[in-house]
Amino acid sequence: MTVLGNAKLRSTAELEHMQEELRARHTPSAKCVRVCTGPGCAVKGSPKLYELFCEAVERTGANVEIEAKSVGCHGLCECGPIVLIQPGNIFYQKVEEPDIAEIFRETILGDRVVEKLLYENPATGQKAVTPEEITFYKVQKRIALAGNGLIEPTKITDYIAERGYIALAKVISSMAPEEVVSEVEASGLRGRGGGGFPTARKWHSCREAEGLPKYVICNGDEGDPGAFMDRSIMEGNPHSVIEGMLIGAYAIGSEQGYIYVRNEYPLAVEHLKTAISQAREMGLLGQNILGSAFSFDIRINRGGGAFVCGESTALMASLEGRPGEPRAKYIHTVESGFRGKPTNLNNVETWANIPQIINRGGEWFAGIGTEESKGTKVFSLVGKVKNTGLVEVPMGITLRRIVEEIGGGIAGGKRFKAVQTGGPSGGCIPAEHLDARVDFDELTKLGSMMGSGGMIVMDEDTCMVRVAKYFTNFLQKESCGKCTPCREGLSQMLHILERITKGEGEVGDVEELEGLAELLEGTALCALGKTAANPIMSTIRYFRDEYDAHIKEKRCPAKECRGLFRYEIDPEACTACGICLKNCPADAITGEKKVSHVINQEKCTLCGMCWEKCPFTAVLKV
Amino acid sequence: MHALRDVLGEMPLHRSVKGIRKGKPVPTVTIDGCKVEVEKDATVLDAAKKAGVWIPTLCYHPAVSSDASCRLCMVELDRGDWRQLVTACNYPVRRDIVVYVSSEGAQQARHGVMELLLARAPESQELKALAERMGVKETHYPKVTESQRNCILCGLCVQVCEEIIGQAAIGYAGRGVDRTVAAPFRQPSEDCIGCGACAAICPVGTIKVRIHKDEQEVEISPFKSRAKLLICEECGAPIISMQVSEQALGKVEVNCEEFRERVRLCPKCRRSQTAGRLKAATANKENGERAVNWH
Ligand SMILES: Cc1cc2nc3c(=O)[nH]c(=O)nc-3n(C[C@H](O)[C@H](O)[C@H](O)COP(=O)(O)O)c2cc1C
Ligand code: SF4
Ligand code: FES
Repeated sequence: MTVLGNAKLRSTAELEHMQEELRARHTPSAKCVRVCTGPGCAVKGSPKLYELFCEAVERTGANVEIEAKSVGCHGLCECGPIVLIQPGNIFYQKVEEPDIAEIFRETILGDRVVEKLLYENPATGQKAVTPEEITFYKVQKRIALAGNGLIEPTKITDYIAERGYIALAKVISSMAPEEVVSEVEASGLRGRGGGGFPTARKWHSCREAEGLPKYVICNGDEGDPGAFMDRSIMEGNPHSVIEGMLIGAYAIGSEQGYIYVRNEYPLAVEHLKTAISQAREMGLLGQNILGSAFSFDIRINRGGGAFVCGESTALMASLEGRPGEPRAKYIHTVESGFRGKPTNLNNVETWANIPQIINRGGEWFAGIGTEESKGTKVFSLVGKVKNTGLVEVPMGITLRRIVEEIGGGIAGGKRFKAVQTGGPSGGCIPAEHLDARVDFDELTKLGSMMGSGGMIVMDEDTCMVRVAKYFTNFLQKESCGKCTPCREGLSQMLHILERITKGEGEVGDVEELEGLAELLEGTALCALGKTAANPIMSTIRYFRDEYDAHIKEKRCPAKECRGLFRYEIDPEACTACGICLKNCPADAITGEKKVSHVINQEKCTLCGMCWEKCPFTAVLKV
Repeated sequence: MHALRDVLGEMPLHRSVKGIRKGKPVPTVTIDGCKVEVEKDATVLDAAKKAGVWIPTLCYHPAVSSDASCRLCMVELDRGDWRQLVTACNYPVRRDIVVYVSSEGAQQARHGVMELLLARAPESQELKALAERMGVKETHYPKVTESQRNCILCGLCVQVCEEIIGQAAIGYAGRGVDRTVAAPFRQPSEDCIGCGACAAICPVGTIKVRIHKDEQEVEISPFKSRAKLLICEECGAPIISMQVSEQALGKVEVNCEEFRERVRLCPKCRRSQTAGRLKAATANKENGERAVNWH
């Protein structure tokens, strides 16, 4: 077992040998509890569950080998906290502290399934024992998230046992840098950070660029509200990112890498730090990696705390210790980036795909997806669907399958209205395009974009003008303010949207918005400003009637904009209970016992209190 | 919606990268049909100047590096099947290119930016004059953002202070619409030497130099930074900030004693003193004595 100590690995053969030993030790009968501590489950108290399992292990211990593992996100956050039991791959959902004793007694010691903790298919009522039986997982394909849930992120041996660093070994021992670029080119991989730029092309340009040293950077800033794809990979499988960067650095000819992690992700920083120091100890980072001539190391930097810091040039400025503001990209960063040197920046998920592409071949990867978009994409599926969480799907899957099969359809029996993809500067795609395929170019054609993988599902109760206002407000606040069109233009657009949602819209406002959108797209300095009008443009394109209703009829069809709808009491449903009358702060409701109540529209301030309080849903928005 | 193409379009393609290296060293820029040759890496603005074509600019100044933040100098770059709007002041010419300054697209973009600026700083006479020269009569946008005394955030003051004066006494505070130029913590800056370079470079007259005679201080408004003034020993008129004279002493090669002697007086008093000495010297010469050598 000498290899399993912390000795440096001096050759690829030693790494392979170690992997064999690790796999041999990993007997399939070994019992193991995996508690998901991904972001979704963590907020529901899974770290505490993990602790309790650990305590239980200590107390019972002795004759059974039981391991409690904290792992990255499983997706299906709606059903969290999630616990997986091996052997048997038993999937328990919504596990609470009192359940732990039962799981221990029944499943771990007694090999029996605890029925009440199983997932039940809402359509068929059937219970699922393993994840494979759940549609949410069946429709997915996991490459970037493959290791999540399988390995303990703070243990390099777990990663190595799962064929970790074998791609690195392959590259170092048998591939020329150009061959690595060719393999990535064959895979058709495009950047997962937003732009969808062909990764191999970027690597090639950086490799060809003049100037030394060259840098590779991992973009882990993930500023999109509600997104946690990259976070889950960094927290749940940090070595996959490190291995990807090692391979990229080898192909490009770089010896120094940086991982720029969003400031709000302390656990990601911690796991990455642990992973880096473990990799260093084993000779997988540092000088003469695996005994070869290739040297490379990685530093971690914490983000500047603004959305725009994720933009490539702003990120590099921030890394240099300057304010995180974008600069003109007429000379691209692959030629002159970090410290004026050739720099290759890729997103977390992009990097995490690399080891698998090398291991299984570019052709294998290119076999998944569509003509121009290969492989899989991770989305954070949120909003009005039944199942929310991280999902990884093959490119080319239809939006409908994501919403209906993975998301389980719209919650609360409502109708689907739109799905917003691409983060704050993405667009809203309506029901008539639900059969569109998830593909970089397809989404762009629809006026949205892939972005980094946000996916927000909206139901019929969502006002699309308000949606546009929400994202415009976010972008206006996050604009760095450096350039005129973004700083002033977004404020002007927000001002118009505010007027419209207040019922003060004027004929011509939509055209005004369109004009400003075009100006921003053409003249803003960075992609934040250039794409900032997407939410407005896509909602105008598909929901023009809602804009018109607000502007011309002073009516909000989704009944979300205060003042643009009325409250009325349905006399049929009203039981004259008097609750609304008591709660109305404006004394606008009249009525007596056994006489259905009426709202005096003159007095009503539209506060919505009656609507909230009525136990018989007799108060209607009209 | 070709924002994505915009971004990708900025990516150097391998073919063109090679073309640059092997291409002739003097690229030709065709501006509105007029051909000029410029040094490689000159900007489109340089080329336009050479061609005698006017492009309005605000945040550009030859003395400092270009940040291209005002976006007023937009021109259209021919990319074959489409045209890309680029900023003339920092777009580097690396191969033969064709640009349009007076095309409809370019004009529309510049006018749009100018209208936004006019809404931000409606009182600036300088801005109005520039707008007029561009053919923009007024803005149809309401004033929706609060700006600091008509500041258009071109950033020239920040750059001149850092790059030329070397003080970096002012910088940006706040983000987005709340961005302002300010001294650190919006307090009067200790680093400000009261040279007034920011006021001199400001294209819209936002920054002013105020002399407080009583306190013998110069104030740079709106930053509230103050510096002590050298006062003319004769007439009491303020001459220059003390720190500026100190710094100047470090930068120019002069006889210090002599320089100190000089800056004791304001230019007016110095002239009259010199005139007095000359007169005396002439008189002495007439008396056959050697003229006093003042310097
Ligand atoms: C305002 C703005 C924010 C961005 N934020 C991120 C981010 O958080 N993470 C990311 O990977 N890319 C982000 N990007 C995209 C990056 O600029 C860059 O294109 C990407 O990291 C390149 O990696 P890729 O080729 O692997 O996609 C952002 C871009 C803009 C304009
Ligand atoms: S487009 Fe917006 S975020 Fe980008 S540089 Fe301009 S002001 Fe800053
Ligand atoms: S003058 Fe070119 S962007 Fe300001």
